[in-house]
Amino acid sequence: MSLIQINKVTKIYDGTAVPVKALNNVDLKIEAGEFTAIVGPSGSGKTTLLNIVGGLDIPTSGNVIIDNVDISTYKPDELVNFRLHHIGFVFQAYNLIPVFTAKENVEFIMLLQGLVKAEREKRATELLNAVGLGDRVNNKPSELSGGQQQRIAVARALASKPSFVLADEPTANLDSATADSLLDLMENLNKEFNMTFVFSTHDQRVISRAHRIITLHDGAVERDELIKQNQ
Amino acid sequence: MLLSLAWRNIWRNKRRSLIIIAAIAVGLLCGLFASAVMFGMGESLINSTIDRDLGHIQIHTKAFEDDKLLTDTIPSVQKVLSDIKSQPNLIGASARLIIEGMISSATSSGGVRITGIIPEDEKKVTSIHNQIVAGSYFENEDANQIVLGLKLAENLGIRERSKVVLSFQGLDGTIIYGAFRVTGIFRTESTMFDRSTVFIQENDILSLLSTEPIYHEIAVRLNSVQNVDTVYANLRKKFDDLSIKSWKELAPELKLMDEMIGLQLNIFLGVILFALLFGITNTMLMSVMERIREFGVLMAVGMKRRKVFSMIILETIILSLVGGVVGMILASITIAYFGFAGINLSAFAAGLSEWGLGTILYPVLPISFYLSITVMILLTAVFSAIYPAIKAIKLKPATAIRTF
Repeated sequence: MSLIQINKVTKIYDGTAVPVKALNNVDLKIEAGEFTAIVGPSGSGKTTLLNIVGGLDIPTSGNVIIDNVDISTYKPDELVNFRLHHIGFVFQAYNLIPVFTAKENVEFIMLLQGLVKAEREKRATELLNAVGLGDRVNNKPSELSGGQQQRIAVARALASKPSFVLADEPTANLDSATADSLLDLMENLNKEFNMTFVFSTHDQRVISRAHRIITLHDGAVERDELIKQNQ
Repeated sequence: MLLSLAWRNIWRNKRRSLIIIAAIAVGLLCGLFASAVMFGMGESLINSTIDRDLGHIQIHTKAFEDDKLLTDTIPSVQKVLSDIKSQPNLIGASARLIIEGMISSATSSGGVRITGIIPEDEKKVTSIHNQIVAGSYFENEDANQIVLGLKLAENLGIRERSKVVLSFQGLDGTIIYGAFRVTGIFRTESTMFDRSTVFIQENDILSLLSTEPIYHEIAVRLNSVQNVDTVYANLRKKFDDLSIKSWKELAPELKLMDEMIGLQLNIFLGVILFALLFGITNTMLMSVMERIREFGVLMAVGMKRRKVFSMIILETIILSLVGGVVGMILASITIAYFGFAGINLSAFAAGLSEWGLGTILYPVLPISFYLSITVMILLTAVFSAIYPAIKAIKLKPATAIRTF
């Protein structure tokens, strides 16, 4: 069974004067350990697909099965719980909690999971060391560079021990060197811990590192290329 | 950690938080100080009434309560007095002989309440001896001394050492006349009392009545108003054939005023907090609107709506409590200062004395009032936070994350 199964998913936004079909009968399977990029021009449905896979939105028709669970039938509160335990998120604008330190930002997810303080602190320290920020644990986001903030966001995404990480344009706000360094980090995590990463991106630097590239066009899968076999 | 997050969120926009904290603090300072002034007035009125005449508890026969007849005297009065003196927390008990009569000077006359007392006992119960403005309060044992109020002295056109005549009905119904020399003039906070009450020594009135000692009233003074209920219950149990009344029953208007002041002040502060509610709501709403993306992220990564709601309520409670505590501290310092130094209201002396109030007002606020204010602040905070919190939890994470 695949880690993520997207079965005939259609999403229509009908809140506008003219209903918009953002996804049209999308069928996809993503296996554990993949390092996959979803690409396509603006309006192709990347974000919508990511939202649906991430349990942030529900399909108009079709279903999404993650870890053998059909999340399309979940109520909002059940989705929140599912996201907390199964999905890690990395956002384009880092989106860290500005009043928390790096360590507290990573710890916070574990707090929501109900982990005890000692366990939270231990894991947060380990993760920050793993993303190369062991010496910045007590810095607030405003005291860190964009690349450092995005590394904390990666650590935060991994803190809940998710089944996979969804990264929405993670390098869009980073310069080349920082983006490369972040991609190295994520590739290492993929390789060492078999962590599944699914990116939505326009960025050629990300696309060039992806093991699989899914191209969307007008809400449908136009191409699905396997560049490199999972290890 | 949620508490820590809420606390830090408050200080993200220091200026805005400080403004609303200052608004709450100043609102409470003014409200609490005004309340303390009102409470102080009430306390002053109650205490001066208790001090002047009433005592904490009074004992009469039930018949005297209704008819005020000279013959309605307390039976076995020495036994009653001895039982009263065995009560805990007692300062003193004064047996009084009371007659409604007339007082006449060379130029005028008027109706008065003649109170026959044993001065040493009376001194333990009331404070008239401390309010003498001319002469003295039965300092020697000369016969036929009378101590009366300044207002009555003015009405009668008399002064210290003047002679007056008291006339009243005797036990057998005949009118008795007695000449007295004014040895003391008092001025209390109540002009009404000062123009209608005279004190004479019990021996003088007993000899005019040609009778053995008789008493119509025993006034009891305790060391604190807090102990009234216990002694009152003891005395009621012991003397079920007598009328035992506490100051609240003797002066129901004071009891009513006491209760009304509490109620009115709670309403008054409620109105202040209601006005502040809109300010707090506005502040929290701005804070929520500035953090739409953050709430989106929190909900996306797994924070339940219930927790987001709680966090905003918690932020508002902390914000309001900080303002509330600052306001209460400032208010308690201000009240303590004026409670010690007093507020001089001598410019309104005439009007105040008509109401039985002194010219120096000492603001006071019971601890229980601070507790009720704390509860009111908490309620205000919760009500203020509801709308912003609903706004936050209605956000869709997928949309909120992309809000800039």
